[in-house]
Amino acid sequence: MGQLVVNGLALGSIYALVALGLLLIFNTVQIVNFAQGQLLMLGAFIGISGAVTHELPVAIAWIVTMAAMALIGIVFMVLVYFPLRGRPPFLVILTTIAMGIVLENLALIIWGPLPVSLPSPVRGAPLRFAGVVISMHQLFIFATLAAILLLQFLLLTKTRFGILMQATAQDLHTARLVGIPVNRTIAVAFAFGAMLSGVAGLLVAPIFLAEPTMGGSLGLKGFVVSVIGGFGNLPGAVLGGLFLGLIETFGARYISSNFRDAYAFIVMIAVLVAWPRGLFGEKSSEKV
Amino acid sequence: MFHISLKTVMVGTAVICLSATFVQESMAAAASCPSPIPFGLTTALTGNLALLGTQARNGVEFAVDEINAGGGIAGKTIALATEDTGASSTDALNAMNRILEGKPVVIFSSMISPHVFAQTEGVTKSETPFLVGATNAKVTAQGSKWLFRTHVHDGQLADLIPEYLVKSLGKTKPGIMAVADDYGLGASKGIQAALAKLNVTPVAVTSYAPSDKDMSAQLLEIKDKDADSLILFGRPADVTLVMKQMGDLGIKLTTIGNASMVAQTTLNNLSASEADGNYAIGGMIPQTSTDPHILNWAKRVQDKYRVPADNFTVSYYDTVYLLKSIIEKVGCDKPAIRDALAATKDWKGMLISYQADPQGDLAHTLGIYRNKGKTPELIGPIKESGF
Repeated sequence: MGQLVVNGLALGSIYALVALGLLLIFNTVQIVNFAQGQLLMLGAFIGISGAVTHELPVAIAWIVTMAAMALIGIVFMVLVYFPLRGRPPFLVILTTIAMGIVLENLALIIWGPLPVSLPSPVRGAPLRFAGVVISMHQLFIFATLAAILLLQFLLLTKTRFGILMQATAQDLHTARLVGIPVNRTIAVAFAFGAMLSGVAGLLVAPIFLAEPTMGGSLGLKGFVVSVIGGFGNLPGAVLGGLFLGLIETFGARYISSNFRDAYAFIVMIAVLVAWPRGLFGEKSSEKV
Repeated sequence: MFHISLKTVMVGTAVICLSATFVQESMAAAASCPSPIPFGLTTALTGNLALLGTQARNGVEFAVDEINAGGGIAGKTIALATEDTGASSTDALNAMNRILEGKPVVIFSSMISPHVFAQTEGVTKSETPFLVGATNAKVTAQGSKWLFRTHVHDGQLADLIPEYLVKSLGKTKPGIMAVADDYGLGASKGIQAALAKLNVTPVAVTSYAPSDKDMSAQLLEIKDKDADSLILFGRPADVTLVMKQMGDLGIKLTTIGNASMVAQTTLNNLSASEADGNYAIGGMIPQTSTDPHILNWAKRVQDKYRVPADNFTVSYYDTVYLLKSIIEKVGCDKPAIRDALAATKDWKGMLISYQADPQGDLAHTLGIYRNKGKTPELIGPIKESGF
């Protein structure tokens, strides 16, 4: 039982990290980026190129990956968001789906179809107590999630940039009229969102291996988690992720492993029926 | 001064005449072939089955390139048309329709059974020899006289794996874990049926979706139910994850599975302790060969495609050479090629000999392997029951 809890929380932490990247972009431009999973995959492969192919120290590979992901986030924005800005949101969303497919195939061409592992930045014997095993990497995942949640919370609520992001999200045109550098704000949001996916990819690759198609399922789970937690809500995304990780793990153990993926969507539908704004969603009003 | 005896001259002349006769026969047969000779291939080069699909592409393409570099078939080169099926059966069908438009002499399709099921009717109607590596036992039971399989199938594995586990390794409380798709679930059912014949009931039967990354719940169930062994059936990527997670959870069980257990793509991502002692029964892999030519071939494939050759690569490579030998004898008449394929007997490929059975299965020899650290070792070849 204890082991299931640990493994469920570790899995849920990954989902939560994907959701946090998703929310950062959503909270700025009100667009769901369905290529977030593929950005995660890119982060994993860039990390592998650094740490495995070019044999850089893992810490340096992480820094290089973060820088590359920030750049990719901005390029992504230029290619996907800017050309369709002001058009119906579903067009941008469809384009993110298409971009996800492009990224997947690009990765297949660059890195090939082989699954590859990335060394963990932390080493050491796993902790064992009462028959429960917790690896150092799992502890690192928990710590990283907590740190990112805190940083993102501080960024959005305590910094000028966070306020600019919120203002941009609420009304882009008014934000521009009052002198907010809208394009720069959106670019930073996309860069941070991609960096968060990169972190998730770097955390996933040592335990789940990296392969070009790894992002599809994880990206979708990140979306489910965001819906469960209440779109736009940071603590909701994290709690939703942990909740989903536990549901999947316990469901696979005690109900049936055949329907593991289905649990996520059953839970999402159930939550939407009972709480249409998600478990932690805030009531919103619409301009008329 | 060299002295050449009359006997030597006569023997030499006879050999030259005999060779010339064979070459002429080959040339005459291949005269019926268009130039270049069109071959078709559909396989998954994108999507989540790309790793598998590229093994088919690599095997076929590598052989075709070698043959063309050596002068082709009786002087005519092979033109290989390849279409990507992605991971979808609908796309596989569309890919096959595009291949059929090129009127190929023979068509290869992938090891992904649902794709082959979707394609069989169209290829059969076109009356083109259809060579596949699809592993679902029922693929050759569709009643198409044009379809041949040159790789071992799940039915053979489902019989042999339980038998080896119970009779040779003495394990009677296995847990089963299989990938929840056509490949794994079909094998899981067959394995359960074979275990029942041995009066053994698995303590747990579990599965995971092809996209699953965390199999710890299934492993813990198998451990909690006191299994003495694990039968694992999956693709290299997910088998790797299962082995890694067993190591992380400290679960030590005698584990036996399909060839993914000893595939180089699996072993590259495991530590020696995670890989050590695992058994596999499946199509023969080149890495355990002691023949330097075969090892050199595997290295050249790896260098060219950046993907290690596996049992499928060998099987598809052999298939092209089998066709070469047939076309040299019977030319490009499709019914004649089909008849020659159906009459295949003891045709020696890279690692095994091929022999056609009435259903169109040509591969009946499997390998039993055990990992010593990260190095697979061939315990021995094993024949399918009845062969």
